[in-house]
Amino acid sequence: MSNDSGTTPASDAGAAIVAALLVIFGAAAVWDTYSYFDFDSAVFPRTVAAVLILLALGVLVRWLFQRAGYVSVSPAEAAENGGSWPRRIALVIVMLAAALAMPWLGFLITAIISFGVLLVIAMHDPWTPGRIVVYPIVGLAIVVGFYFLFAKLLMVPLPAGRWFV
Amino acid sequence: MSGLEALLAALTPLNLLLALAGVVAGAAIGAIPGLTATMAVAVLVPFTFGMPPAPALILMGAIYTGAIYGGAYSAILLNTPGTPSAIATTLDGYPMARRGDGDLAMTLACLASVVGGLIGALALLTLAPPLSRVALAFGPVEYFWLAIFGLSLISALSEGSLLKGLAGGAFGLLVSCIGVAEVSADVRLTFGSQTLVGGINVVAALIGMFCIPVLIDLVATPGRHLNVVAEPRGFRLAEAVRVLIQKKFNLIRSSVVGTVVGILPGAGGSVAGIVAYSEARRTARPGEQYGKGEPGGIIASESANNATVGGGFIPTLVLGIPGTPPDAVILGALLVQGLRTGPSLFTDHGDIVYTFIWGLLIATILMLPIGLLLGRYAYKSIITLPKALLVPSVAFMTMIGTYAIRNSVSDVVIMIVLGVIGWVLGRFGFAAAPIVLGLILGPIAEQGFVQAWTIGSAQGDLAGMFFGRPISMAIIAFTIFSLASPILMRRWKLKAEAAHVE
Repeated sequence: MSNDSGTTPASDAGAAIVAALLVIFGAAAVWDTYSYFDFDSAVFPRTVAAVLILLALGVLVRWLFQRAGYVSVSPAEAAENGGSWPRRIALVIVMLAAALAMPWLGFLITAIISFGVLLVIAMHDPWTPGRIVVYPIVGLAIVVGFYFLFAKLLMVPLPAGRWFV
Repeated sequence: MSGLEALLAALTPLNLLLALAGVVAGAAIGAIPGLTATMAVAVLVPFTFGMPPAPALILMGAIYTGAIYGGAYSAILLNTPGTPSAIATTLDGYPMARRGDGDLAMTLACLASVVGGLIGALALLTLAPPLSRVALAFGPVEYFWLAIFGLSLISALSEGSLLKGLAGGAFGLLVSCIGVAEVSADVRLTFGSQTLVGGINVVAALIGMFCIPVLIDLVATPGRHLNVVAEPRGFRLAEAVRVLIQKKFNLIRSSVVGTVVGILPGAGGSVAGIVAYSEARRTARPGEQYGKGEPGGIIASESANNATVGGGFIPTLVLGIPGTPPDAVILGALLVQGLRTGPSLFTDHGDIVYTFIWGLLIATILMLPIGLLLGRYAYKSIITLPKALLVPSVAFMTMIGTYAIRNSVSDVVIMIVLGVIGWVLGRFGFAAAPIVLGLILGPIAEQGFVQAWTIGSAQGDLAGMFFGRPISMAIIAFTIFSLASPILMRRWKLKAEAAHVE
């Protein structure tokens, strides 16, 4: 957390947690390589996993021996560290839900619904009558325009939706 | 056919129109995250089947060069490389746009792309047969060392901690192993998940790692996406030309790097951009802050990636070995046209080949006015679009673009998950660029390593295979230099500062 002078504690505990997770991922990868039929498939990932484990351990060791101090934080970085967590989480959930719903609802319906929900999530300004009318129309035009570009012009077989086929 | 006749043949109204249309279509497609230059060429190649060979080649070349350039738009404005070739463009392009110099960044990208494209095309025109021998000199072990050299560039791409950068690179390499092994078809690192069997597509990973973190932070705060200066400043062309002249060595060096990397089959614009960027960063003058909005970063990346277009055509036309993925599609189209590539192509079909090369040069020059106009329009669109519309629009484009790569919903899910991972890692100092570099170079490194290992084992001389070939030795020397130079430079700097204080 930043203090008034624009500095923040230099402790890298978050990086240490990430490094620990990388060690676990590397170990899981080494374990996985022993199930391969061909040695050629195993040699590269096993080597890389070992290197990953060593480097991640290096990050952990450095964290253990680092000296506490303070680092400066710019106002822009401070703003990015703050911000609305519910909006962040909602964005990821909506995008994941849209991706998973796509095969069932079809691309177009999923895109229109998710665009609308994301529009509400990303709206920080007050909803004026003009915005209530214009923003959904612009959003619909973007979705339908790109749908036609991909589906009709570039011939990408976008999901039609199992519930509607 | 003389050079002048070929030039005149390239200047017919039909060829000019095709070059113009190709550049516009290519830039528009390349600007959309997920739609790569390869896809742009592949999608539009059927239109060329009914054309005579020279106009068909000019159209494909124009689409290709336009798409490589178009990738810079989203790289600069959204921190999302429109094509993998524009990875290094994000590193300084996006910080420039954020601080209010997006217009200058767009103009610089256009100018650098044009110069790089012209140098690559001129190399194709004048040096194609001798340069193509470089491609033949590279065997599996050279590709392996080339990939390792590419990974050593992490030292230049890492912000802050080199250790974290290297760990990120190793993580990217390991992630590149997920899915069915190319060498022996073992299913690797999926841990029972069907979603991962298809592997991690590099473009999907790129979109996720670069764009999703931006979206996550964009949605959280009410402020503007990019800083904008109140008074209109136009294209800032004179300023961009001045910067380009100041950084002429960077521009020419990066263009040469792009041409040479383009010649090497399988390397492509992404590797060229990163190599040129790291070289620009390594040789930075005092006061130049790469990674924080330094114009030299855009110049290096964009000139190098557009130079790969001409460079990639050298082995494609002379040897029939595609230098870059879009070249492979164009090679297929050439065969449909009844043209057999090879050393005799320049003598048997010199009229077609030289008309095409001149057409490519003309298309690259046309990219200047088109690029400036399109870039200005893209910049204005992004800065005027309210955040409430920008966030869902970008989210929607990332999803449809990722889906279109392999028509796979799994890729979309992987893209989002990798994006969240990238955002978390980024918060704790593990930058996205080294991870993506590992992902790109992983398959090249593995294939080269396993093939060299197999050949070396069969010959009973593994050490000789890996360390006994002259090109390998040269690349190893470059790798050691690349890894050691930041440490040595830091020491020299400290010594110089200490001496100055005394």
